[in-house]
Amino acid sequence: MRVWSSEHVFGHPWDTVIKAAMRKYPNPMNPSVVGVDVLERSVDSRGRLHSHRLLSTEWGLPGLVRAILGTSRTLTYIREHSIVDPVGKKMELCSTNITLTNWVSVSERLVYTPHPEDPGRTVLTQEAVITVKGISLGSYLESLMANTISSNAKKVLIAWGGWLPPADHTHTWPPP
Amino acid sequence: MNSVGEACTDMKREYDQCFSRWFAEKFLKGDCSGDPCTDLFKRYQQCVQKAIKEKEIPIEGLEFMGHGKEKPESSS
Repeated sequence: MRVWSSEHVFGHPWDTVIKAAMRKYPNPMNPSVVGVDVLERSVDSRGRLHSHRLLSTEWGLPGLVRAILGTSRTLTYIREHSIVDPVGKKMELCSTNITLTNWVSVSERLVYTPHPEDPGRTVLTQEAVITVKGISLGSYLESLMANTISSNAKKVLIAWGGWLPPADHTHTWPPP
Repeated sequence: MNSVGEACTDMKREYDQCFSRWFAEKFLKGDCSGDPCTDLFKRYQQCVQKAIKEKEIPIEGLEFMGHGKEKPESSS
């Protein structure tokens, strides 16, 4: 099992970041999303918006990894649940893969909140737990996937600079 | 961004535009009334449900056609 976490600060207030995030696919950990569909959407009794979405994603895994796994398939489906609290100013997304579950589980959680010291900025905390199951080299593959997530996140956050310039960025990676 | 069902992409984009407007201009400003996107969502959902069945995507535990207010509170 590998855990990857990161914190990123946007130089814009929470409302601005959330509006932009909802227009684009809001998970910078996975830039390979090729399809997004809303399956269900509702407002709960606390006024929070719940969305359930189906994402199709092409994992950018190297050919060697696919050969080890014995699969030529790269299209993976992910189920995501998000909650937007407009009063508490918090957006939370949780997602997990619903295909390829025999060999890997990738669960991700993202939380957008106003910066505690500056309402003109927004903090995004991201966390991923990756578990490769039932095959040898599992630990190696977990590291590879975590590194893929990490480098993808950096690329996407740089690309996001076009609409929201990042102000600060730290990654943490627990030692193996 | 496309739909998982190729035939649904135009409906999806129409719904997404309606939702984005409502989300920015109403929801984030504290106004939950008068969701204008319900009909668009129903049409879009019929298409997506068909595509999910055809592609045998393992979705469980969701009621399709769900687009409304005052659902039971879910834990986060």
